[in-house]
Parts: sequence; C-alpha cells; structure tokens
Amino acid sequence: MPSASFKDELLAEIRNLRAFAISLSGSVSLADDLVQESLLRAWSNSEKFQPGTSLRAWLFTILRNIYYSNYRKRSREVQDSDGLYARRLTVPGDQESHLDLEDFRQAMTKLPAEQREVLTLIGASGLSYEEAAVVCQVGIGTIKSRLSRARAKLVELLELDEASHPPVERKVRRAG
Amino acid sequence: MNATRTNKVEALDIAAPDPKAVEAIGRALEAHYASLVQAPLPDKLVELLTRLERDRVSPPPRRPDALG
Repeated sequence: MPSASFKDELLAEIRNLRAFAISLSGSVSLADDLVQESLLRAWSNSEKFQPGTSLRAWLFTILRNIYYSNYRKRSREVQDSDGLYARRLTVPGDQESHLDLEDFRQAMTKLPAEQREVLTLIGASGLSYEEAAVVCQVGIGTIKSRLSRARAKLVELLELDEASHPPVERKVRRAG
Repeated sequence: MNATRTNKVEALDIAAPDPKAVEAIGRALEAHYASLVQAPLPDKLVELLTRLERDRVSPPPRRPDALG
C-alpha cells in the first residue's frame, strides 16, 4: 500500500510527467491518457519504487514503457499539441541572437522519437545521463550519441550551421 | 577480413555543432519544456490521485448486492 506521502510526491511530479508525455507523443490528449495510466500503475506498484532514487525517473520509465507498448501507433495519427501554444514566442538569446520557439517546436517533431526523448530528458527535465539511460533502457554511451545526433539534426533543421548557410538565411536572427 | 565491428553503443560519427548553435537550442528547449510544464493541468489528473488516496485511507465498501 502506498505511503501517506506518496500521493503528494506524485502530485509534485505530475506537471513534469505530462510535459514529458506531450514531448514523447506530440499529443495533449494522448499525453493525458498516458499520465493517467502511468499514475495508476505507479500507485499500484509503489512498493517497487526504491526510496532515495529519482521518483521522476521512475515515473518517466513507467510512462515510456506504456507509450511504446500501447500508444506509439496512435500518436502518429493524433498530433494536436499545437493548440497548447497560444502564441509565437521568441527565445531571448545572448547579445546577438534569438530563436523562434515555433520553429523550434516544428523541428523537434521531425526528430526520431528516441532522439527527442533523450534531448527532453537531459536538456529539459533535469535527469542525469545515468537516469536517462535507465529510463530509455540503453547504455550511457548511446544516450550521449543520441543527444549529439539530436543537437546536430536540430542545427541542420533550424539552419543554425554558420558554415553551410549565409547568416541572412539563418533562423537565428541578428538583432539590430 | 576486416569486418566492421558492430558496437552496442550507437556510433558517434558526427561533427560537434557550433557551440553557439547548441546554446541557442538549449535555451529554446528549456523554454519549450517550461511552457509544457506551466500549461494548465486537467482536473482529472489531480482528481485521480485524490480518489486513490481516499480509497487508501478508507477502501470503498463492497457493494451489498455483490453478495447476491
């Protein structure tokens, strides 16, 4: 039976769990179903969680397993995350550049799922390489490789590669 | 024979991108993820946990009609 604090611990992770689910599936409605199923499974298997380890990583592992078992095919048919974003935003850069967030989101959807998930786990959700390796059930070397490939692919898709594209055509727009 | 050895680790055969481009991607990724984390949460997810917790404290009684 889950401990008294387990509900609060899950509650604290729901937003991150949902963000990961949306990133993985590209669909808000599928993500909500995924999170619901993951919470139920986590609740009924709470004794399998090892205290002292990352609850977030454990929940991500559960959600990812459910996704690849039951949802991946459906997610290709339902891509409705666009409605979540009310307006186009730009991401402030350093003193000279910024990146259009909608361009970035579009580029993310073009990455293979295994690259997108690693980029999200390491670059945004705060997991370590070791935790991401456990979540994705691969070695740390593969995590690093997928991360590098994801970044390189985004650089290509967003035309951020200065060597191959003249600055005027690049998505990073020079300010001033 | 000089067969290529297949490694379990996917080969790292790509050139490192421009550090400034990687930085821009990192910032965009964080902003994208933050917008997902901050998006309104459907009530049904929080309600699910509330229901599970309530059932843990006082499990729902068996329905009398289940006994026939």
